[in-house]
Amino acid sequence: MSALSDLLSDVVSDVEAVLLFSPSSSHYRQFADADLDEDLLVVAPENAVGADTYVELPLEFDNVRDRIRFGIEGALERELVDAEDAVACSVRIFDGDPDGVVRVRVTESMRSGIYDLFANSRAEPGVIRDVFEVAIELGKKGQKGKPVGALFVVGDAGKVMNKSRPLSYNPFEKSHVHVGDPIVNVMLKEFSRLDGAFVVSDSGKIASAYRYLEPAAEGVDIPKGLGARHMAGAAITRDTNATAIVLSESDGLVRAFKGGQLILEIDPEEY
Amino acid sequence: MTGVEAGAGAGSGAAGVGPAGSGVALAQVDTGTVTSAFGAVPRSVWLGAIVAVAGVVLAVLLGAFTTRVLVRLGVPDAVEGTAFDRTVREFDTSTVDVLGSLVRLFVLGVTFLGVLSIANVTVAAGFWGRTVQFLPQLFLALVILIVGVVVGDKVQLVIGERLTGVKLPEVGLFPRLAKFTVFYVAVLIALSQLGVATLALVVLLAAYLFAVVFLGGLALSDLLQSAAAGSYLLLEQPYAIGDEVVIGDHRGIVQEVNLFVTHIEDDGEEFVVPNSTVFESGVVRVRG
Repeated sequence: MSALSDLLSDVVSDVEAVLLFSPSSSHYRQFADADLDEDLLVVAPENAVGADTYVELPLEFDNVRDRIRFGIEGALERELVDAEDAVACSVRIFDGDPDGVVRVRVTESMRSGIYDLFANSRAEPGVIRDVFEVAIELGKKGQKGKPVGALFVVGDAGKVMNKSRPLSYNPFEKSHVHVGDPIVNVMLKEFSRLDGAFVVSDSGKIASAYRYLEPAAEGVDIPKGLGARHMAGAAITRDTNATAIVLSESDGLVRAFKGGQLILEIDPEEY
Repeated sequence: MTGVEAGAGAGSGAAGVGPAGSGVALAQVDTGTVTSAFGAVPRSVWLGAIVAVAGVVLAVLLGAFTTRVLVRLGVPDAVEGTAFDRTVREFDTSTVDVLGSLVRLFVLGVTFLGVLSIANVTVAAGFWGRTVQFLPQLFLALVILIVGVVVGDKVQLVIGERLTGVKLPEVGLFPRLAKFTVFYVAVLIALSQLGVATLALVVLLAAYLFAVVFLGGLALSDLLQSAAAGSYLLLEQPYAIGDEVVIGDHRGIVQEVNLFVTHIEDDGEEFVVPNSTVFESGVVRVRG
């Protein structure tokens, strides 16, 4: 029994901060009342427990590695932890209550830009999250029948519209559909039929569909093997302050581009 | 065969009530005696009994019906979390059940009075007469009060939820103000239903509403103007996201149009222009 306790105390010894991932309120109270020497951070999709130091988790990452990396990156970005700190993360690996404690050493290389993608993009974080969810949903639904591809350009819509031209009549003209509206889920099937890019404004309004993007693509460096859709998406984010979220038709992955760089790559099947 | 049984049943039933005819009914088989057994009891007693039974059945059915209709309408979910619902829950019941039993009590009360009038109870007829007139009003007033309390609580909850994003301690005043306004109106309606003089309360309400509307309108006039202009802009879309426009002194590309403001951006500078300006100064669309 003492060996077991030693095992756990080895994991949590000399940590600078404790990160609680999506804690229940009783779980959080337990830590908050204990008055730890270490900093206490809550990482969750929303601050349901009313914690003082809180890092928003925009997507409920199923993969524990991604979840921890995102949480630490967010804490690093907001200078709640420093590089070379050791932190203990209390996470939920299987269903139910938090069931694992992971010790992580924070390194500067953890700044991959994923947190930046959500928190510091032109569009609101909630909008980017909603577009991600739409793309993921489309990736799942498309795969059951026939794989589909889609390209969403989020934020800086005015400039994007000026750097693109319509392929056909804009079905969203004079409509006021926002990503995240329940109706968007109903429209998902229709979405997969439309060619070209979707342009989404900073506040989440779907400004247009059927857009043919015409950015200058020189010098855009994306992994070889990605097609014209990804190239167009990456290039438009270099020309404007937009973020591009691309669902690949060939491999079914959802990728995010910002500033012409590939930032995030996720598999819809894992959500 | 059935005639005998029916006769016996009716006879024994009548035996307790009326002194005559029970033995005869048992002995004879033809239906004539059954009618006479019925006839032995005064008509009004039968009528009273039927009305009483029908009233009880109706009360139970209507109570259950009300409960089911309210449940089907999603009332339990809608009122969940309100102070009234929580209080009622402490007594192991629910808002819907309270309303259901209120309906039941009302029907029972009406039945009781109906039976009394059939039985020709003349004792203090004036008192009963007034009670009969008063009962539906009391019932309505009670229902209005309960609905008012529940709606007031709900309004407080909903407004409170909407304002959770605003981190300002004073903001807690608005939900409570809304709640007590609803309570006040409900009490006012209930009292006037009972015929209590409410003129002074109505005057107070009018003064309060005038203050809210007048001062609110004064404070929000700019926002309202922008919203009126914005609803036109959203419906007609004279300019859309991506168009280059000049509004007043600002020239740039439209990034966003919402109900109150239009965002136009020019070389890293984003102007947030109230929609009322769009109508006052007009818009120039630059065609490139």
